[in-house]
Amino acid sequence: MTDLEKELRAALRPVEPEDGFAERVRARIDRESRRAPRRTPPSLLWVPAALAASLLLGLVTVYERELAHERQGLEARRELIEALRVTGAKLDLAYRGVSDASHPPKAADTGA
Amino acid sequence: MSHSPRIPLLALLALAALGAGPVRAADGQLALPDFASLDAKASQTVNVTLDASLIGMAARFLDPNKPEDAAVRKVINGLQGIYVRSYTFDSDFAYPQAEVDRLRRQLTAPGWQRLVQVHDARKHNDVDIYMCVEQTRVKGLAIIASEPREFTIVNLVGSVDLAQLHDLEGRFGIPKLQMQDQK
Repeated sequence: MTDLEKELRAALRPVEPEDGFAERVRARIDRESRRAPRRTPPSLLWVPAALAASLLLGLVTVYERELAHERQGLEARRELIEALRVTGAKLDLAYRGVSDASHPPKAADTGA
Repeated sequence: MSHSPRIPLLALLALAALGAGPVRAADGQLALPDFASLDAKASQTVNVTLDASLIGMAARFLDPNKPEDAAVRKVINGLQGIYVRSYTFDSDFAYPQAEVDRLRRQLTAPGWQRLVQVHDARKHNDVDIYMCVEQTRVKGLAIIASEPREFTIVNLVGSVDLAQLHDLEGRFGIPKLQMQDQK
């Protein structure tokens, strides 16, 4: 047996606890377990729920805004197409008028 | 020396006074009347007011992969405003001629040039097409069309290309124009 082994055995030899050690440990566990619930006030239990609700509300608001934006965009698109349709119709009316003026009906020619 | 600070102010006021009149005409935008009386009388109304932001918003809902939508994108590319008022009536000449004349007077302002004037006495149709041009740059288009039962004003503000409008013919219910026949 080397010196190092002897030293280790001496340092790690079984030692009996002092009197009352087990009682003191049990008492401390009881004390800690009684004190633990008091560390988190009941009011703070609502914080995660409130945060989740806020997040959900935020998501719903963003979604609603996106939906309104899309509705507005589609309405603008519809109005744009309608405006171009009216513009095309009136340009057509003008061109037909010009065409009629430059090509009078044949009936007028034959009647002369 | 004591009068010198006033000079810039007076110059600014003078410039503002000079600019106040022709600004709307020069930028190609007409001051459209309220037409509340026509709204009440008309059996059908089209009222479109799209400023630059709404045109941009509409453009985002045009699919560049669809040929129709791509053609519309080209037309609106240089536009800053689209204003259309169209009223259809159940009886002939239900709209006040004074309103039409007041609008036509706006188009006598500098910058506006009449491109087409069609007067069809037989059908009682009058169509005038005006363009607002500034140094060869087109800044707006105005169409005033009065028919017995319909009165329409179209005002496109910005760079308008009639050829691109022509590309839209036959799409979205836009009638086929006869521009090719005119050539």
